[in-house]
Amino acid sequence: MKERSGYKWLMYGVVAIVLLLPCGKSFGDTTGKIIIFNAGSLTIPLAKMEKVFESRYPKVDIIREAAGSRKCARKITDLKKPCDIMASADYTVIDQLLIPAYADWNIRFATNRLVLCYTNKSEYAKEVNAQNWYKILLKKGVVWGHSDPNLDPCGYRSVMVLQLTEKYYKIPGLYQRLIDNRPKTNIRPKSVELVALLQTGNMDYAWEYRSVAVQHELKFVELPDQINLGNYKYDTFYKKAVVKVTGEKPRTFLNKKGKSCTYGITLLKNAPNAQAATAFMQYMLDPQGGLKILKEMGQPPFIPCRVPTAEMKARLPKAMRDLVEVRE
Amino acid sequence: MITIRELNIDLQEFHLRGINLDIAENEFFILMGPTGAGKTVLLEAIAGLIPLMSGKILIGEREITGLPPEKRGISIVYQDYALFPHLTVLENITYGLHFHSIDKTHAEKRLDRLLEVLNLFGLEQRFPVNLSGGEKQRVALARALMIEPKVLLLDEPLSALDPNFREEIRGALKRLHQSSNTTFLMVTHDFVEVLSLAGRAAVMNKGRIEQIGNVKEIFEKPACPFVADFVGMKNLFKASFNETYAVVSGLKIEIGRIVDPSSQYLAVRPEDIIISREKFSSSMRNNYSGIIIQIDNQGFYYEIAVQIKDVYFKGLITKGALIELGLEEGIPVYVSFKASAVHVF
Amino acid sequence: MRREPFFWISISCGLVIIAFILLPLIEMMTAPSLSMLKETIKDKDVVRSIWLSIYTAGLAALISFVLGTPLAYLLARTSFRGKRLVESIIDLPIAIPHPVVGIAILSVAGKNHWIGQILSELGIRIMGSVTGIITVLTFVGLPFYLNATKAGFEGISPRLEKVSRSLGASMTSTFFRITFPLAWRSMLIGLIMCSARAISEFGAVVIVAYHPMIAPVMIYERFEAYGLKYSQPVAVWLVSVSLILFLLLRIMTLHKAKEE
Repeated sequence: MKERSGYKWLMYGVVAIVLLLPCGKSFGDTTGKIIIFNAGSLTIPLAKMEKVFESRYPKVDIIREAAGSRKCARKITDLKKPCDIMASADYTVIDQLLIPAYADWNIRFATNRLVLCYTNKSEYAKEVNAQNWYKILLKKGVVWGHSDPNLDPCGYRSVMVLQLTEKYYKIPGLYQRLIDNRPKTNIRPKSVELVALLQTGNMDYAWEYRSVAVQHELKFVELPDQINLGNYKYDTFYKKAVVKVTGEKPRTFLNKKGKSCTYGITLLKNAPNAQAATAFMQYMLDPQGGLKILKEMGQPPFIPCRVPTAEMKARLPKAMRDLVEVRE
Repeated sequence: MITIRELNIDLQEFHLRGINLDIAENEFFILMGPTGAGKTVLLEAIAGLIPLMSGKILIGEREITGLPPEKRGISIVYQDYALFPHLTVLENITYGLHFHSIDKTHAEKRLDRLLEVLNLFGLEQRFPVNLSGGEKQRVALARALMIEPKVLLLDEPLSALDPNFREEIRGALKRLHQSSNTTFLMVTHDFVEVLSLAGRAAVMNKGRIEQIGNVKEIFEKPACPFVADFVGMKNLFKASFNETYAVVSGLKIEIGRIVDPSSQYLAVRPEDIIISREKFSSSMRNNYSGIIIQIDNQGFYYEIAVQIKDVYFKGLITKGALIELGLEEGIPVYVSFKASAVHVF
Repeated sequence: MRREPFFWISISCGLVIIAFILLPLIEMMTAPSLSMLKETIKDKDVVRSIWLSIYTAGLAALISFVLGTPLAYLLARTSFRGKRLVESIIDLPIAIPHPVVGIAILSVAGKNHWIGQILSELGIRIMGSVTGIITVLTFVGLPFYLNATKAGFEGISPRLEKVSRSLGASMTSTFFRITFPLAWRSMLIGLIMCSARAISEFGAVVIVAYHPMIAPVMIYERFEAYGLKYSQPVAVWLVSVSLILFLLLRIMTLHKAKEE
């Protein structure tokens, strides 16, 4: 009799401990799903950030959907897909398509620049350099491409680089000749798809962000700052490049002007899990957290991150105000 | 006409070994044996439809071992007729003409003759699906003979037919054979067909030829127990031999002649067994008394199983005789047979 | 006449299945307005895309027919060691996830693979080309043609062919006079299945060739870029055109069957 009751209490004890264990590990209220729509070029850094964050907050599940930044915005505005955070390769996409209806603020957190990627199997791989690359791209039989300007900022930025090249080297007609040697079949919706084509030897050269080239261990040609859209000091020159992209409906268009690559991020007004999302952004925009990862992966962050006006800073969630400075 | 030397074939479960066969021109030769003996395989090998492992086949003087089927001049008729379902009777019969240049008038004459002999007038425009079994078989025969083959192979042509049709087709086969120069090689497992159609025959078992010869010879003098059993010798016993008599399980049987000392078996045909109620004297040297164990109705005949000491003999008796003699199971009877009716091997 | 419960259960299951298939399709077909449909078909890109889908699927079926018929015949008539393995290999394209098919074909076609090198030297391009699309569609459609045709050949007694040969016909003559006339219906069904599968392929093609754009890729692109309103009409047109084509093919076979 005595033994039996002893076992009973032991069982209760074990059950109680098992039930209480998870409580000890949880960090207060950060739980649930966080949905992020991000630019394709942020995929690899964000994957690493996700791992680190989820190990600190095991009850959180981050779900990422990568796409061209304009496509990301359209998923929010047109398809009304649920989303907590949008991270864009071009912060103006957030300004133009999401503010004010879907977002209140826009934090610029990193820069990037365009490079011409290739592999050792590419045509003229041994000869290509910063002086002769455009001559090689003009050669017949060289397969090169970029992503779709209508869906991906990397796409229209690549086209802008080509326009700037003509102006910088003062070779009239160069831009059109380059475009003529790049058939439609060499365009893909996401710039990251071009990496697979390079790696399998289906494409010789592709336009990509420097960070992506580094992350995928591709060879690349560095271009002068005046044309690589990487240095905001040259914004007045960059403005000379203009690309037509599709508008809201089929057969409507708008013009995009060249500007240095600045990445923007926002938390959406109707975010399903604002609490957890804010916690993630705090981690991501921390110079020792996400920003450090970006730097390691070849994508120079703004430390600290920037918002254009004090008014916008005031609209940020309290916890994040310390992470940004006001700077044009 | 057909010469086969040391043929060996391995085809899935069938293994033919050391087949040697000589068939003369215009013979009607029958290949018989139980199902699975390899008869159809041998037939298809002669036609060139299956590959050989080793051996030679000659038609006349010409070796055809390496030739494809279309160049051999050998027609085959299958048990299930294999008529082309999408062609009319006429198109079926004249199919072979596409590949043999035969003078037109000659072909027409031949066609008419075949239609007449096989009674196919009126059916020319029908499709095989609308023919009876017997009609299909006749069309198959006409089709095979239309190209005047040197050899006609028939694979159990009668077994798929109703008994009434069988007589009809048997007659047609005989007529066709007699009116042409073609050598007929037929396969069957029914011994009745053999008796009525063939001159010479061979018995096959498990891929080997057990006996070749005159049908009468095979029937009356089987060369081994298997053949004996196949041709219906029911009283087959292992025996020990001593001068002019044999002993089967203690029963002494007179043979009346000295036999090969290596012989091991003896057999007596059921028809040669005489059963009577009373002992009677005759020239038959083997007489015994025994008990009827079983009476089996075989249709027109009754098979009587008699136990003599430890040996069981089977005899055949007509219904009339059964009633006349008043035979019943369990009654004692006398059994007699001639010494010359005893076959030894 | 009183029917058994088994009968009623079968009828119910049948109705459920028909509803399961028809309801989403009817919803999709009736969603766009007539004006939307008119506007869509006037778009040259849409017409070009649907035509590309039909023509590449047709070519894939043709290639399957030419390359697949001898293999189907061989599988139906012979038995050899490893036959089951070969048959399983033929079924593989059905089981592989479609994007994987696309990636695999791209990897072989690129300069990093010896086959890709040869293709490059011959001037044949797979990525982003009609050739590439046809390659992918043939890959996914072959098993359907092969299996239907093989079953068709298996249904013809080998004895018919043996008799034909004994009567003097070569293998080729036998095939065209006896085997083909008896098997053509199965082959046609195989072609229909192969084409249907090819026309609807998306995941594998989109990896190999985004442009030129087949209809399923256009439907997806429009959906992602502009939403349901602009993608549904293309889908309706594609499905309608395919339906009409397949119906015509089937009517042709029935018609011939009645003649015979």
